[in-house]
Amino acid sequence: MNLIRLATKNIAGSAFRSGVVFLCALVVAGLSLSTVLLIRGAQESLRLALERLGADVVVVPEGESSRVETALLMGKPTTAWMPQENVSKIANIPGVAVASPQLYLASLANASCCSASELFMVAFDPKTDFTIEPWLKRKLGHELRLGEAVGGHLVFVPEGEENIKLYGYFISLKGNLEPTGMGLDQTLFLTFDTAQDVARISRTRAERPLEIPANSISAVMVKMKPGADAHTAALDIIQKVPNVTPIESPELFQAYRKQITGLLRGMLAVLGITLVLSLVLISLIFSMAANERRREIGVLRALGATRVAILQSLLSEAAILALGGGAVGIVLGALTTFLFRDLIVRSLEMPFLFPSLPSLLTLVGAGLIVALAGVTLAALLPAFRISLQEPAIAMRE
Amino acid sequence: MKIVAALIVILALVIGIVPQFTDCQSQGRAIALQNGKTVPMKCHWTAISEIAMAVPLVGLGAVTAVSKRKESRRIVAGFGSLLGVFVILLPNTLIGVCASSDMLCNSVMKPTLTLAGILVIGLSLVGLVISERKAEPTA
Repeated sequence: MNLIRLATKNIAGSAFRSGVVFLCALVVAGLSLSTVLLIRGAQESLRLALERLGADVVVVPEGESSRVETALLMGKPTTAWMPQENVSKIANIPGVAVASPQLYLASLANASCCSASELFMVAFDPKTDFTIEPWLKRKLGHELRLGEAVGGHLVFVPEGEENIKLYGYFISLKGNLEPTGMGLDQTLFLTFDTAQDVARISRTRAERPLEIPANSISAVMVKMKPGADAHTAALDIIQKVPNVTPIESPELFQAYRKQITGLLRGMLAVLGITLVLSLVLISLIFSMAANERRREIGVLRALGATRVAILQSLLSEAAILALGGGAVGIVLGALTTFLFRDLIVRSLEMPFLFPSLPSLLTLVGAGLIVALAGVTLAALLPAFRISLQEPAIAMRE
Repeated sequence: MKIVAALIVILALVIGIVPQFTDCQSQGRAIALQNGKTVPMKCHWTAISEIAMAVPLVGLGAVTAVSKRKESRRIVAGFGSLLGVFVILLPNTLIGVCASSDMLCNSVMKPTLTLAGILVIGLSLVGLVISERKAEPTA
């Protein structure tokens, strides 16, 4: 009988004990993978969001930075206004390559004139935009016409309809952007002309008209010239443009970064406690098992089994249970995180993007190693102690 | 085998009960027609259909616990897997749920049923493997 067969026979022979070790490995691996997936997903989502915005500095009205960040990150509709003349002031600041204005608008909630409830709408200037225009040129091959829009990954035309109805205006959805796992996925992008047209039509067709104050914009996306310092430009903006807050790209979504860091610490603490408790439990179980099997191990030793063979047999048993439990835990952890991602995003109020397959496979491997190393380590001491016992003493006891 | 049977029964209860509290009807949402009447959204029909999956699954769990013969266990495992597939297909393909990710039917009911369906299939297969490895009792 080889080692693996002996180990599997021992596992089958003590179903309860093996079940507990299996469950511990399952919990440790599943929890480890879910925690890492959530943190990596949030970080990846933030990175993609910054990439998608493509701005080195975002200029928003003073005191509105938190609301604008929440809108961009979580898709929570907001409106914020500042004078349009700020665009030219910002564009003239040394080092600024492009300054592109945006309008932040919101659809009506539960209104018959809107088929999408509380949709965040971003209107952009096609002449200067560098956020959506490159995608449009690549995917559509042309700019958006009047009445056309593109949506984030989760924006869709309601079932049975051909267009999205907003403020009584029918908008044709021309395409969807790639997922980012954040608010941009639930945002509708349209041109300034379409936004003004929606506002005009809404006066007669909507329950409440869409108000866009004259000569106003919501934010300015700033792209710096190569080599120019964004921080210096941001300081210049504060001095030369009144009542605005420039947010540098690395500072963007800072509140959410802190939230993710806090979440990371909390999750790591829970994971650490679970890991320690599981290892202590596994160690206890293996100590009990070693004591119970003292006589059996004595017989094996008397029949010629070496100390190393006994140690290997016990560790093989632990490794098989760790790999089995770890594999099931990883599958369950990944499945649960994937299936409940929308609920997680809404409950934790943080962006999340499920990692790509290669990245997931790396994490799966890491989770299995954690389970295998943890369980084997916990079983090592009791297995080593029992393997040292003299066969005659063990059999007599 | 008794653990597998108990888990199948628990999952059957989840499949039968959770949709009844997470469909749009239970949240007071319905489609308003032009004549003023309201009709339930499609997630409600998925929730009702899942009861039809949950009831035989409870029976299946009971049969799994008491059946001794390999042949009957094979049939039970096959039927269990089939029911698991339908538990997944109902909210995902056959009937569906509401499209908006903000709705509870989309964010809770659909993933719960998908996960429960996968687990039912997995447990049925585990039951099959266990029964195949066990020696059949002699009459």
